Amino acid sequence: MGSLSPEEESRYRRQMMLPEIGPEGQQKLKNARVFIAGLGGLGSISAFYLAAAGVGYLKIVDRDRVDPENLNRQILHRTRDIGRPKTDSAVEKLKDLNPFCRVHAVQAAIRADTVADLVDDCSIILDAVDDFDTRIILNRASLSKGIPFIFGGVNGFDGMTTTFVPGKTPCFECLFPQRPAHRETIGIIGPMPAVIAGIQSLEALKLLLRMPGLLTGRLLHVRGAEMSFKEIGLENNPGCTICEPYRKASPKG
Amino acid sequence: MDILVNGFPEKTLEGISIRELIIRFEEGDVHLIVEHNGRFVYPRDYEKTRLSEGDRIEFINPNFGG
Repeated sequence: MGSLSPEEESRYRRQMMLPEIGPEGQQKLKNARVFIAGLGGLGSISAFYLAAAGVGYLKIVDRDRVDPENLNRQILHRTRDIGRPKTDSAVEKLKDLNPFCRVHAVQAAIRADTVADLVDDCSIILDAVDDFDTRIILNRASLSKGIPFIFGGVNGFDGMTTTFVPGKTPCFECLFPQRPAHRETIGIIGPMPAVIAGIQSLEALKLLLRMPGLLTGRLLHVRGAEMSFKEIGLENNPGCTICEPYRKASPKG
Repeated sequence: MDILVNGFPEKTLEGISIRELIIRFEEGDVHLIVEHNGRFVYPRDYEKTRLSEGDRIEFINPNFGG
């Protein structure tokens, strides 16, 4: 990976001014590879900000096509994109935003038998899916590969997020050990995924920059209707059989 | 004894468990998050976690949409 061009230095100047970033940090971002699972409300925001920040490589995965009812919150997609694969729509917008970001789009479902190959070349798994089962698949991949997993979810005016680091923090299945009986279509107000995915994106950048102060061991619960932000402390869960084998392994991120 | 549940005062039996409180409040979601004095309670600990005077409990429904 080459050094930053004058055009890139100009583009990233306002963040490179920050002592936490500087030229070295920006180079770290350029060399980084992030996996974004889902290109809906959460993924629209995360993909946009990580591309804009100069993350060098994004692997984005979604199997769906743009539907009119996505457009109240999924700001990567436009009216003219209705019916197109979300991956196609996303690649177009992200390349337009930042041609220095390499975007690898995969239009497919994330399955237990494909996830390992999908995430293998990335150092962060950013959760932007809309269902429980895919999060289980991402959690298992995070644990087996030692890749941090940044969880985010929204519902109505509410949202929650935390950063799972294999070997250091509890895992997704420590918190949620049972599969829900059914999946239903839920209502979502547009800015909520923006709030949650904005925090997830910041966590991803901090991980890449090796900054302290991560949202680990804490579940952040945001109630938009009351405008409250509250942390719930997460202690390690010795009873979780899913992450127990990995607890002594050292994390990649 | 007096505790706070979702911000509201409640009277309960001494040493009530979280499991018993969930039944009393008819919280049915299998993924219910229980916060006890600011800390996440794992479901396997619902039975053995006994509450004390002044404890704060929040029942929170998790968010899995994207």
